[in-house]
Amino acid sequence: MAIESIATEVLCELTKLGAEDASVIVTQSFERMVRFSNNALSVTKSIKDVTVFVYVTIGKRRIMGSTFNPSQTALKAFAAKLVESCKTLEPSPEYVPLPKGPFTYPAHANYDPKIEFCEEGLMEDYVKQIIDRSNQIGGERTAGAITAEASKISIATTGGVVQSDRSTRILLNQRVFVGEASGHGLACSTHLSTFNHLDAAEEAAEYAKKAVNRGPWVEGLYDVIFSPTVAADIIQHVGDAASAFAVESGISFLSGKLNEEVACEALTLIDRGVAAGSINTRIFDDEGVFTRDNVIIDKGVLKTYLHNSSTAKRFNASTTGSAGIIDPHPWNLEVHPSGYNLDELIKEVKEGFLITNNWYTRFQNLRAGDFSTLPRDATFYIKDGRVKYSVAGLRISDNLPRQLKNISALTKERRWIYWWEVRIPTLAPYVLVRWTQVTKAVG
Amino acid sequence: MSSDPDLAKLAVDYGLRLGAEYVDARLHRNLEVGCLLKNSSPEPTILVDSNGLGVRVLYRGALAFGATNTPSAQSVKDLVEEVVKRAKASIRLVGEPILFSSEEMGSGYWSAEEKEKLEDVNVQTMLKNLRDLDNVIKDGFHGVPFTNRLLMIETSVEEKLYVNSDGAELQSRVPRVSISSFINASYNGKNYAITIPAGYSSIGESGGWEVVKRLRPETFFKEEGSNLAKAVKCERNPPSEPVDVVLGPDVVGLVAHESSGHPAEADRILGREGAQAGESYLKKNGLGIRVGSSEAYVSDDPTIPNSMGFYLYDEEGVKARKRRLIEAGVIREYLHNRATAQVFSTKSNAASRSVAYNREPIIRMANTYVEPGDYSFEELLEDIKLGVYIKSFMEWNIDDVRFNQRYVGLEAYLIERGELKEGVKAPILEITTPKFWSSLDARGKDLQFRAASCGKGDPMQGAPVWTGGPHIRLRNIRLGGR
Repeated sequence: MAIESIATEVLCELTKLGAEDASVIVTQSFERMVRFSNNALSVTKSIKDVTVFVYVTIGKRRIMGSTFNPSQTALKAFAAKLVESCKTLEPSPEYVPLPKGPFTYPAHANYDPKIEFCEEGLMEDYVKQIIDRSNQIGGERTAGAITAEASKISIATTGGVVQSDRSTRILLNQRVFVGEASGHGLACSTHLSTFNHLDAAEEAAEYAKKAVNRGPWVEGLYDVIFSPTVAADIIQHVGDAASAFAVESGISFLSGKLNEEVACEALTLIDRGVAAGSINTRIFDDEGVFTRDNVIIDKGVLKTYLHNSSTAKRFNASTTGSAGIIDPHPWNLEVHPSGYNLDELIKEVKEGFLITNNWYTRFQNLRAGDFSTLPRDATFYIKDGRVKYSVAGLRISDNLPRQLKNISALTKERRWIYWWEVRIPTLAPYVLVRWTQVTKAVG
Repeated sequence: MSSDPDLAKLAVDYGLRLGAEYVDARLHRNLEVGCLLKNSSPEPTILVDSNGLGVRVLYRGALAFGATNTPSAQSVKDLVEEVVKRAKASIRLVGEPILFSSEEMGSGYWSAEEKEKLEDVNVQTMLKNLRDLDNVIKDGFHGVPFTNRLLMIETSVEEKLYVNSDGAELQSRVPRVSISSFINASYNGKNYAITIPAGYSSIGESGGWEVVKRLRPETFFKEEGSNLAKAVKCERNPPSEPVDVVLGPDVVGLVAHESSGHPAEADRILGREGAQAGESYLKKNGLGIRVGSSEAYVSDDPTIPNSMGFYLYDEEGVKARKRRLIEAGVIREYLHNRATAQVFSTKSNAASRSVAYNREPIIRMANTYVEPGDYSFEELLEDIKLGVYIKSFMEWNIDDVRFNQRYVGLEAYLIERGELKEGVKAPILEITTPKFWSSLDARGKDLQFRAASCGKGDPMQGAPVWTGGPHIRLRNIRLGGR
């Protein structure tokens, strides 16, 4: 059965069973992956899923669920179970009726049939090209994954919404090793024609080569340049903190800061459901409301939290098209560019580091924003505006609100970042952050 | 299982007919229920029924995995054809052909102990448990109000039917229950986002609804809430000179997991996770090297009854057993599946796990812990002139070869002349793996576990695990502070 029909039929069944509000979202996805390591292919994966998400309310009682069994019999049983369970719950003071449509949805061109119907052997060809190119530059070992995903999504709600959409993306996450050193490369695209896998391979290999000769460093406060990959990792936590759910739960460092200066004037951060090349394209949210551009931070000032209709009511605001029934969240974050290029940022640094990748960002206190994160892959020591040598074993140990205020420059160049460590797609520039605490392990 | 078991056998038979030298198929269902209480108001209850078929084939040394959640005879055949086709297309890039070690294959039914079936538990009962917990903590403790609270209880029932072309035929059922929370504690104009239990973990076990009674969550949340409220009031910085450090089981379990369990995963050692979770400071020839003192003993054991990481057979049909990773400071064993065991010319120790039908089985920990010693807590403290006791933590991280790590204390105390004194604010243990295990000189006889979700794989898989250990003592450590 077509997913559009599944959505409307499940909605019809829920209404018949007594649901007052209901939202049904059916997603059909096809994900193909090739993973490689040590210059060889390690596994291929092909995953076909149809998932049905349902939100139901009866008498202000609220329940939601997902089933991965889209047969008609199973869906009827699932709908009955949800309705039956919903009736046993207590009414929620946070209940708000689903928004009434119809709505006008943004258009986009983030679908490429060449990704959905990917030519047989093409992904394997890419892997070979990536390994060959990395080795030509001087890489010893290459590891990574290419993922091609196509998804169709359909929604039907009791608010009168019936809408469908489709999108594609192709992603490369790659690492090149030279001895103990490594470099990282990413390519993220909605279209095959703009999938620059060889650029990523070249960057990873070049970084790995340059990172071989390591020099000394000591703990302290430094000016640090974050690559777009690192900047995206940090910024995604700003996106998380902008959720009204995080604010209500007491785990947001942006709590109580609306209309206050939370970052340097150079920082403008937008969440967009749809943008050219957005990796997580969504034209509607989980309540059927159209997505839009939400300016979270405008020239350093916090302008809005991200809302669904329930959180919006409690904050005396309007939905921002960011549902999540429970947790409103960003779709695609975008950091506004500035006028610098990377060389100019490096020249701005008297003593500091260029960090090309990081992982394992963890918070001691989400409300205060105290955190640390580990640079991985190529990291370079900068002295008097020039890159001197590579370094290893650093840890950024700082405070996120303070770092946002210590941003002093951003580049024109931006990249879409979405990989294992960055789960909210983010269009990020290189960012220079002053007075950043850098520590190292004993032993 | 709600799916037809014959579909798994069909997948294996059809894969072999298409020329694969090995095929396995897994019908895998996770039935999950989650209840949330935010600031005393219920959020929508969440029901998830994840159900489908995962298939792996080896075709001339090339490995391919595929999954579908619309299993019918035709869709299974389509899936197997697709997977074999992908394996064929990748042969030219495989390098050394992938081979599986020869193992004795399991058959039959296994399950976790279970008295009260989770399917029979009403969501209202689950919410009532959260309300009772909320009532215990909502006013806070010691003049520290808990102004924001997000409480969660999750149940899951994992059922699998597994067959492979080497003769394995297994069915299993593992129910699990866990409880966790986020709390905002306010004191002196400052806000502290903490979790109960600390460290973003949970209290949890495998088993039916009787687990909730065993966990005694109200007692636990009251004690932990009270302790953490005191902790956020601490202003004193840790000593700046090197001191002896006693670590609580929550910290010890995490260290065992991060700096002993992960680096022992043979797929990381061989570089297979290089671009994602990373590699390992341990190498292929690393068995027998010394990384710690004679007091360093770390094991991983999937067979512990009631544990979150409980299983008796892994996702390749191999019987599970305890694995001793570090013995008297020496690397003793790595975690293997059949592919890495073949490369290391050894046997699999049943470390292959998958969290859902649409996830490839990969090498995972189960329940990783420092083995207990024979010291009482008082004995660990008694000869310490100046030290710090770090009972719990919040922030932690470790580099991608599992060498450079950091744990920041939440509840922590000064130790003076063998006695616990005032609280210490956020002591930072930032240390290398060999330094950590070499500084260990005594282990307590207590052994406690905490439930956690371990992330690895691409696509990501969060596997239920226990981390655990006794109190331990480290000598002569320089701590940091914020």
